[in-house]
Amino acid sequence: MTGPAILLLLAGLGAIAWVSARARALRLQTAARATGRRDAVHSLPGYHGWYVALWTLVPAILFLVVWSNVAPGLVTQSVLADPAAQSLPADAFSRSAILGEARAIASGSQAGAFNPLSQALVEPYRTALDTYGIAGAVLALVLAFAGGAYAFTRVRPDFRARTRVERLVMATLLVASLIAIITTVGIVASLLWESFRFFSMVNPIDFLFGTKWSPQSAAMGYGNDDAFGAVPLFWGTIFIGAIIAMIVAIPLGLMSAIYLTQYASPTVRRWMKPTLEMLAGVPTVVYGYFAALTIAPALRDFAVSIGIHGASSESALAAGLVMGVMIIPFVSSMADDSIAAVPQSMRDGSLAMGATTSETIRKVLIPAALPGVVGGVLLAVSRAIGETMIVVMAAGLAANLTANPFASVTTVTTQIVQLLTGDQEFDSAKTLAAFALGLVLFIVTLLLNIVALRVVKKYREAYE
Amino acid sequence: MSAVRNPTDWKSEAMRKRIAGRYAAERRFKFAGLFAVVLSASFLAFLLITMMGNGLRGFTRTEIALKVDFPASPLLIDPNAITDEALNNANLPMVTGEVAKKALGDKADALLSPTAWISIRDAIKADPKILSRTETINVPASTGLDLAAKSQGSPEMEAAVTRLKQQGVLSTGFNWNFLSASDGTDPTQVGIWGAFKGSLLTMLVTLILSFPVGVATALYLEEYARKSWWTDIIEVSINNLAAVPSIIFGLLGLSIFLNLAHLPRSAALVGGLTLALMTMPVIVIAGRNAIKSVPPSIRDAALGIGASPVQVVFQHVLPLALPGILTGTIIGMARALGETAPLLMIGMRAFIATPPGGITDPATVLPVQIFLWSDEVSRGFVEKTSAAIIVLLAFLLAMNGLAIYLRNKFETRW
Repeated sequence: MTGPAILLLLAGLGAIAWVSARARALRLQTAARATGRRDAVHSLPGYHGWYVALWTLVPAILFLVVWSNVAPGLVTQSVLADPAAQSLPADAFSRSAILGEARAIASGSQAGAFNPLSQALVEPYRTALDTYGIAGAVLALVLAFAGGAYAFTRVRPDFRARTRVERLVMATLLVASLIAIITTVGIVASLLWESFRFFSMVNPIDFLFGTKWSPQSAAMGYGNDDAFGAVPLFWGTIFIGAIIAMIVAIPLGLMSAIYLTQYASPTVRRWMKPTLEMLAGVPTVVYGYFAALTIAPALRDFAVSIGIHGASSESALAAGLVMGVMIIPFVSSMADDSIAAVPQSMRDGSLAMGATTSETIRKVLIPAALPGVVGGVLLAVSRAIGETMIVVMAAGLAANLTANPFASVTTVTTQIVQLLTGDQEFDSAKTLAAFALGLVLFIVTLLLNIVALRVVKKYREAYE
Repeated sequence: MSAVRNPTDWKSEAMRKRIAGRYAAERRFKFAGLFAVVLSASFLAFLLITMMGNGLRGFTRTEIALKVDFPASPLLIDPNAITDEALNNANLPMVTGEVAKKALGDKADALLSPTAWISIRDAIKADPKILSRTETINVPASTGLDLAAKSQGSPEMEAAVTRLKQQGVLSTGFNWNFLSASDGTDPTQVGIWGAFKGSLLTMLVTLILSFPVGVATALYLEEYARKSWWTDIIEVSINNLAAVPSIIFGLLGLSIFLNLAHLPRSAALVGGLTLALMTMPVIVIAGRNAIKSVPPSIRDAALGIGASPVQVVFQHVLPLALPGILTGTIIGMARALGETAPLLMIGMRAFIATPPGGITDPATVLPVQIFLWSDEVSRGFVEKTSAAIIVLLAFLLAMNGLAIYLRNKFETRW
């Protein structure tokens, strides 16, 4: 019996359970009311329905989940016990390949066998799959009937069905909220585990402070000793994300926020604010394409025309400029918020003393809003150094330790993509290095975010 | 004893200069602000115009009307037994080349798309009777000719365009193929349908997983959880997840879903799972804000007439908060739709020429397709890439527009 059929059958059973239990509860309720004792009925009939339906479905589905994890092992065992399995090779790899092929044919996802040995195993496999499939289905149905029957006998006027159902609802909500923790733990654990494997091959000191990055030469067997120095990547990331992008984003973002909050008419503000926010909604792959196709060649031609040597068609400047534009809305909306949080009385006071609007903004509003602005900038930096597609497409692959914005540099995220999209073998230092880079990126962005949120929060409280 | 201070003489030359200077500074400052806004907006406009300029051409294609004399052509096929196999063995590519050479001159190879024979095959399939007569069939032109017809080509191709136009066999039409085909190696034949379907499937998985979990988490945190170290941990994790770089989610998907759970590589299922983990925090945060804005009086009233806490939330609070939650969900889904980096990590950059049939089939998504095409050296891919970007941006715009519409329609001020 196939999985969807069983689930459909169970759904049908659940529906029947719901309807019959509800009908029974309704009858009992009417009967109880006829005796004049309205308060004798605790729960609405619907809750009795849900109670019985849940008892029908939940145990059976839990069983099926467990069974679908256990059954393949049992099937393989029974196939191996078959006489036809005696001729299997001892080598574990080819053994599992043959078994896998036989299973694919038996379950109908593959038409013919490449290996004659697996053809011989198809029949035992089919029998075993059928046997365990039917056994699982029967057990699930028995559980559904048993659970439903048990719950059905408990339908009484004074039975607190609602409390039970609500307890399950609460448990579901709690489990849902745990997923965030599980994800966080999963990220940290997988990054730590793979990084640990990497650092057992490469010295962490060499990784963090080495200045030569050439994983390709390490993969080709020249040794790991000095091929994984990540300093050029860290520098490239900081150069693009924290320096060039911020030189673009901070003045433009801050001045846009000031203009839109202090000078612009409501109509202008209503139209321009969403327009600027659109900059943040454009997918980064589009920015990357734009940077690589339009901005980078223009910059190279410009650099060549003013006589700069080593101008590359993939430059730090192209990636940084476009990333800076992408970041403008983050800076401007954070600045917008913190300027709006400065009390009106401070602004009015300054204006009443005869200061012009721009003097008020520069001498009163900005200093007062500075912590919020700084927090916004930190968040923007964290965002910029974690950004991938723009730098992958426009910044280049050469690990240069240079301050020349027209040269090609590489970043942490670019290298993660590079390392993990080639040939994948998960025991080489080359692929594991990506996880070590990921760990560094995770820690740095996390710290930036925590500091930024602290700064913003602390400042907010000062005016309340 | 304080020094006696004379009243300011506002009429003095020095003071007037000073005031004029301050007003000039005021104007400069205001102008700088306006300049920043205009510069940012014009960058957006420049980006959109560039994409439109390149991309709109990607939606059209140049076709050559090729007169095929079927009875005279050396086609190895029996008109009474047209099967896929027979057509594949019928030597169509060579025959097409011969016919083209006869009609267009010796350099016809450079004028016709390398896959032009597919149009002829489809024509035969649609109507086997044409095998007994001479028929004019529109076949796609080569990339070089196509670009030349859009006045971007090399001089000799430009000359060929003029010549073909005089013969009256050149036409330009809407490229339906771009919407219905999948990835390929020939820019005249590629389309976005495969990637688009992959995007839809991935979004479906993302929505099914992240929406219920996100809403449930928001309800739990906002309505039931008492403040404790435990809920603090949940809250901190959610806020952190919302700020983690997307590529880290790719690393998580790679090591957990692929290496540990052995789910199929480059499938919409794994892409959806990864994006769901990324989208969930966005939905939780939006959901909490929406739930928070439902006034306590509604809860108190429901509790007062005897509803249980679960009934209060599911029958009163949730329906009132739903528009806000939906708005947040759409924005989160829009972000997921444009995401590329985590999907590269889980192997979605493979070359996939058939649209996925289910969530476990190898698939690609629109942004990844754009990324893959941007790497292609063939010149014809530039306009295809930009055209795909236009489709992607149109979808994002539609989703954001829907979010704004929902917010405006259902916004309640309590």
